[in-house]
Amino acid sequence: MSALVATRAPLGRQLRSELRWILRRPRTVIGLASLCLVPILAGIGLWFAVDGEGPAGPGLAAIISGNGLVLPVFTLFLALPLLLPLVGAIWAADGLAGEAQHGTLRGLMISPVGRIRLLGIKAFGVATMTLFAVTLIAFVGAITGVVLFGGEGMLTLSGSTLSFGAALGRIVLTILLVTVQVWGVAAVALAISACTEHPLVVMAATMAGVIVFAVLGVFSALDWLHPYLITSAWEGLVDVMRDPLPTEGLWRSTALAACYIVIGMSLAAMRLATKDN
Amino acid sequence: MNRRRVTVVAAAVGVVAGATGLGLLAMPAGAGPAPVLPDVSAEALVESVLNAKPAAFGGTVDVDNDLGIPAIGGVPQLSDGASNLRIWTDGAGKLRVQLPSGDSERTFVDDGQTAWMWDSAEQTVTKMPHGSFEHGEPDLSGEPKAAPTDPVTLSRQVVAAIQEYSDVTVDGTARVANRPVYELVLTPKPTEKTVLREVRVAVDAELRVPLRVAVLTNGTDAPAAQVGFSELNVGPQDASLFAFTPPAGAKVTEPEVEKPSAEDKAAAEQAFTEANPQVIGEGWDVVLAARVPQDALTGLADLQQQGQREGRWQEHGQGEDVDVQGLIKQLGKQVSGAWGSGTLITTRVGGVLIADDGRVAAGAVPEQVLVDAIGQVK
Repeated sequence: MSALVATRAPLGRQLRSELRWILRRPRTVIGLASLCLVPILAGIGLWFAVDGEGPAGPGLAAIISGNGLVLPVFTLFLALPLLLPLVGAIWAADGLAGEAQHGTLRGLMISPVGRIRLLGIKAFGVATMTLFAVTLIAFVGAITGVVLFGGEGMLTLSGSTLSFGAALGRIVLTILLVTVQVWGVAAVALAISACTEHPLVVMAATMAGVIVFAVLGVFSALDWLHPYLITSAWEGLVDVMRDPLPTEGLWRSTALAACYIVIGMSLAAMRLATKDN
Repeated sequence: MNRRRVTVVAAAVGVVAGATGLGLLAMPAGAGPAPVLPDVSAEALVESVLNAKPAAFGGTVDVDNDLGIPAIGGVPQLSDGASNLRIWTDGAGKLRVQLPSGDSERTFVDDGQTAWMWDSAEQTVTKMPHGSFEHGEPDLSGEPKAAPTDPVTLSRQVVAAIQEYSDVTVDGTARVANRPVYELVLTPKPTEKTVLREVRVAVDAELRVPLRVAVLTNGTDAPAAQVGFSELNVGPQDASLFAFTPPAGAKVTEPEVEKPSAEDKAAAEQAFTEANPQVIGEGWDVVLAARVPQDALTGLADLQQQGQREGRWQEHGQGEDVDVQGLIKQLGKQVSGAWGSGTLITTRVGGVLIADDGRVAAGAVPEQVLVDAIGQVK
């Protein structure tokens, strides 16, 4: 009788194996390597623009000259509207729909691991990889920025210069804020991922959603709808480069993304719990 | 089986909770219950506002603009829509104002000796003598513009002048930026012909400074314009806020203080006489009328083109020949009558009537009053 008692796999080992599983895919490695190119290419482009007459461009690009620590922030905001949601969607798609396509999800579902726990592990994998990708972009961006533009501190949009420590703090804050936004998208992608066996459908549906939200955000006649759209909060994240830091808008956009995470994870749990063995 | 049902129910609760969260976030911040404050008469409230001492504070001002004024490049705070600005003052002449717009920002800092204006989009710093922003400062600090010799007498006069044309009442209390306020309401007397219905001023119960001003027009519930604090911290502010060092890469310009030459003065005086500005009507129905010489309009166009060359108006087209009359005609509708013909531009808080021969009348009044006024312009 005692032989039938199921021994639970330790949670740490499950999480580690999930991460190893994601990192071992060749496309993950290729994807991360190409993400590193984004800040380098953006830095080189801005480096040529700075040489010209007047400001290098609108917004953050205007203050980049001699101010290399702005580059990671600039690159993250550049990647947030399309590239980072795509990255989050790819991992979410591989997590459930990809496993279903290979037939391995069935094996996971009948294994002695609860379905909610399975979803938790998958979500952990997506979340960790997203945070890793965003941090990687910021890290490469900071190095590229300091090499190309120099600068010990950070000039804010408000015209004040932050010390090196405070500048690093702003970069870390940007990483966290951007990551939470991508989590919001990835959670919804995970819910779609639980409903289909085709990873491409997940990616296409998520990107279509992001683009439709962005288009809806353009029309001022729909301004009653804008507070509900996760994409409409992304422009306001540039507040992180103002001094003193205005926190209200940043809290608001983070709370908005948190609502998307709750909705996405709940839908994914609902679908996974009712899925046939 | 049972466990699955529990999971589904919990997940459904999660979906509902997330959706509710979205709804709560989209809702404007609740005002909370109205605070209980000692009664105050409208006259005493107005007097105390006029006598209020400037205080040190920092806060965020939300501007909700629905006036129907065409967009003005670079300053979203003046165009239709919601925007905000951040303001700090030490109450003794030092001031910091930040105007965020999209992904750029303008910062004004007046450190007591020098005033700086930073524009992140252009990476420029303009250096000016202290006090340069006095007139540009939003009228929220409660600072009386002209220091009267006897503030009490003066404020009584102001109250009397207001009451001649308006009913001034205190309409209960409210909360603005989490501070208790009295709602002061100025309503035009029924005989006034203005398009404004009322002006509501929220006066801080303790500091007696206006924290919110809303202009309401006939026929709508939503204010045509509302300017008010969404966040306010009263008390001494961080001294470093009032210091400004031009960043290394920025271009610092110091415009020369323009002392008008005798020639300019004469030209200005002549233009003033030609324009013959006059005030027609009284109270809420005041109409400002003038005659703008044709070449002044052309001069305005030149000025705008200069601005375009400097890149400030680049969104509005590049230095092409501006047809001012054509532009005006596009903005308004054509009207004509016994007084002549011209263009009427109406906003929600009034209108401007520009006759083809250069006569102009403007006021917070309906079309008919403007037409009557323009007939009186010589």
